[in-house]
Amino acid sequence: MNIIATLGSSFLITALSCTIFSLAASLIYFRTHTNALLSLARHSIIATAMLISFSLLVMAYALLTNDFSIVHVASVSSKNMEPWMKWASIYSGQSGSLLFWTWALSLFLAIFSLKTLPKIHWGAPHAIIVMALLLAAFLIPLIFFTSPFIISNVTPEDGRGLNPLLVDKGMLIHPPALLAGLVSTAIPFTLAMSALMSGRLDSAWVQHAKSWALLSFLILSIGNFLGAWWAYTVLGWGGYWGWDPVENSAILPLLPIAAFLHSQTVQVRRGIFKGWNITLVLAAFALAIFGTFNVRSGLVASVHSFAQSEIGPYFLALLGIISFISIALLCLRWNSLKPDRDLDSLLSKETGLVLNTYILMAITLVILGGTLFPIFSELIQGVRITVGPPFFNETTGPLWIGLLIVMSIGVLLPWRKTTRSSLLKRIQIPLTISIITVFFLLIFGIKDFTVLITLFSAEMVLLVTLREFFLEGKVQKNISGQPLFQSIFKLFETNQHRYGGYLVHIGVALIAIAIISSYTFQTQTRQTMATGDSFNISGYQRKYEELSESKPGVNGVSKEILAKVEIDGKKLIYPGQRLFTNFPNQPVAIVAIDGNPLRDVYVFLQGWTDEGMIELHVFVNPLIQLLWLGGAIYVIGAILAYTPSNRSTETLKNGTPIDEY
Amino acid sequence: MNINWSRNKLTCTLVTFFIFFLMQSTTFAQISDRHEEQALSIEKQLLCPQCTNERLDICSIQICIDMRKEIREQLQDGHNSDEIIFYFQNRYGQRVLAELPRSGFNIVLFGWVLASIVLVTLGGSYTLFRLNQKTNIDWK
Repeated sequence: MNIIATLGSSFLITALSCTIFSLAASLIYFRTHTNALLSLARHSIIATAMLISFSLLVMAYALLTNDFSIVHVASVSSKNMEPWMKWASIYSGQSGSLLFWTWALSLFLAIFSLKTLPKIHWGAPHAIIVMALLLAAFLIPLIFFTSPFIISNVTPEDGRGLNPLLVDKGMLIHPPALLAGLVSTAIPFTLAMSALMSGRLDSAWVQHAKSWALLSFLILSIGNFLGAWWAYTVLGWGGYWGWDPVENSAILPLLPIAAFLHSQTVQVRRGIFKGWNITLVLAAFALAIFGTFNVRSGLVASVHSFAQSEIGPYFLALLGIISFISIALLCLRWNSLKPDRDLDSLLSKETGLVLNTYILMAITLVILGGTLFPIFSELIQGVRITVGPPFFNETTGPLWIGLLIVMSIGVLLPWRKTTRSSLLKRIQIPLTISIITVFFLLIFGIKDFTVLITLFSAEMVLLVTLREFFLEGKVQKNISGQPLFQSIFKLFETNQHRYGGYLVHIGVALIAIAIISSYTFQTQTRQTMATGDSFNISGYQRKYEELSESKPGVNGVSKEILAKVEIDGKKLIYPGQRLFTNFPNQPVAIVAIDGNPLRDVYVFLQGWTDEGMIELHVFVNPLIQLLWLGGAIYVIGAILAYTPSNRSTETLKNGTPIDEY
Repeated sequence: MNINWSRNKLTCTLVTFFIFFLMQSTTFAQISDRHEEQALSIEKQLLCPQCTNERLDICSIQICIDMRKEIREQLQDGHNSDEIIFYFQNRYGQRVLAELPRSGFNIVLFGWVLASIVLVTLGGSYTLFRLNQKTNIDWK
C-alpha cells in the first residue's frame, strides 16, 4: 500500500463527503429554516477547500520525493527535474490539471463563502446548493474516472518527465492563471443561479457579481496575455495567437464576462438588461466548462489538449446539464426580468453599452462556431478539417473593428440622453486627427482598407479616452489646485472603476494597432548558411558565427543546440533548439529576438547539419512590442478597476448594505 | 591611332558575355527569389499533416521539411500555387488547408457566422426598439 496515494485519495473522498453533507444540510434548511444548519453547510464548503488543498500538497510531496509508483508522478516528472519546475507537473496531464482545476474552484468558493455569502441572506442556501453541486461535479471524475493518485503495478526507475512545451518559466504562471480564470467564472454563475432560484432578481446579485466578474476578467486576461507571450517566445512561429481550439476556449468566457461588466452598469443605474446580464454570466460559465470539455474530449487537435478522452463524455454531459438548468430557470423567471423603465433616448450611453455587449456576443458565437465545426465535420461527414486563422481573421475582423468604433463613441455618450450637436462637438477633435492620420498613411502608401479602418478606429479609441483624461483632469485641477499631470493621477482616487476601465480601453487600442501592423506587414525569410555567411535584414547585417552544443541534463533536456549570430559586429543572439531525452520528436525552439519599439527581428533555428550548416527562419514583426505595452496597460487598468475605490469603501464603512442597492 | 581590333573584339566579347552573365544571373536570382517568395506563400497556406494546427512554414518535423522541398521542386517544374495546393490536398485531405474552402459542408459554418451576426443584430435592434418605444431621438 502506498501511504501517500492513500492519503491523497482519502482527502479527496472526504472532500466529496463534505460537499454532499453541505448539499444535504442546505436542502434540509429549506424545510427547517435552522440557521445553524446553514452555517454548517457553509463551513463544509470551506472544509472541502482545505481537504482538496491537502490533497494538492500530498501530490506536491509525491512529486518532490519522486514517488514514481504513482502513475501521474511517473508520467509528468523525472529525477532530473528542478524542484521549481515540479510546480508545473502538478497541473500537467489530464488528472493533474483536473486536480488543480478542482482545487482552484474550491478555493474561490471558500473565499466566496467567507466574504460574500454572509452578505446575501436572500440567496445563501441557494448559493450553497449550487457550490456543493459544482464541487461534487468535479470531485466525482477526479475520484472515480481519472484519479491523480492511481498506483502503477510496476514502479519505474525514473519518470517520463514534463511535456517539453511546458518546460519553460512562463508555464509556471500561464496555465494556473488561465485555469484559475476559467474557474473563477463559477462565482458570478453561483450568484446568478441564486438570484434565479430565489427570485431576488433586482440589482442585489449584480452588485456582488461585478467585483467577482472583474476578478475573472483580470485573471483570464493575464492568462491569455501570458499564453500569447509563451506562444511568441517558445513556439517559434513568429506569432502569438494561432486561433487554436484550446486558445479559443480560453478567450471565449472572457468575452461574455467583458460584456457583463459593461451591461451590469446599466442594470444598476437604470434597471434595464436584467435578463441579458444573467444570460451573459450563465454563458461565461457554460463556456468555461466547454473549455474543460474541449481540452479533455480528445476530439480537437491542439498543442494544448490531452490525448486521453475517457472523461470527455462526462464533461459533455455536465455541460448539457448546466446549460439545460440555466436556460430552464431563465425561461421560468423571464417575466420577472422585465426592465424597470424605458430608455430616455437612443443617443445615450445605454445604447453604446447595448451595442458593445451585442458585438461581443456576436464575436463569441462566431469563435464558438469555428471551434466546434471541425468536430461536427468529422462526426457528420467523416472528414477531418482544420478551421485555421484565415477563417477567424476574416469573420471576426470586421466585428472587432465595429467594437473599437462603438468603444470610441460609447465613452463620449452621457447617461440617459444627449443631442447630436453635443456628440458632434465632443467627437470633433479625435475624429479630425484620426482622419488626418489616415490621409497621411495613404500618402505613405498604405492603401489596405482593413489596415486603414483598424488604425483609424484604434486611434479614435485612444484619442477619445485621452481626451476624457485631459478634460476631467482639468476639472480636478480646478478643484484641487494641483498641476494637471497630478490631477489626472488623482482621478484614479475618485473613481478607480471608471478610470481603470479607460486604461483597459487604451490597452485594447494599442493591442489592435500591434495586431494589425504585425499581421499585415510581417515579413519572413529562410536562410541556409555555413559558418561565416551573412545576410541582411531590416537594415542590419547578421553573420552566422558558429554552432555550439551543450548538455544541461536537467528538466529532461538532453541537448541544447545554439547558433551564434552576430548583429552588425556588435550584438550577439543565440537562436537554438532544445532536445529532450524522453520526447525525441518534440524539440522546442529557443527563439532569439532582437527587438526595438518599431520592430522585432525574430530568429528561429529551423534545422542544422553535423557539418555546421544551419537553416534560420527570420521574421520581422513591426510594432509588436505595442502588444506587450498595451497588455501591460490593460492589466494595470483591470487591477485598478478591480481594487475597491475610496468611494465604494466609504459606502461600506458607512454601513449601507451592499445588497440594498 | 593604332587600334588593336582583335584585342578590342576580345574585350567587347568579354564585356558582352559579362553583361549577359550578369543579366542571366540576375534573372536567375530573380526567378529564384520569386520562387522562394511563392514557396513561402504556399507554405503559409498549408498545414502540417501530422501536427496540431501548425503551419507548414514553421513546422520542423521531417514530413514538413519534405513537403517544403517538394513545393520548390514543383515550382521549378512550372506548377503554379493552386496546382501545388491541390496536389497536397489530394494527398493528405482537407485538413492540410489553412484556409477553409467555401464549399460543400463548410457552407454550414459560414451560414452559422451569418446567422450569428443576423441574430445578434436583430436582438440588439429589438432591445433598443422595445426600450425606446416611448422616446424619440432629440436631433436638435
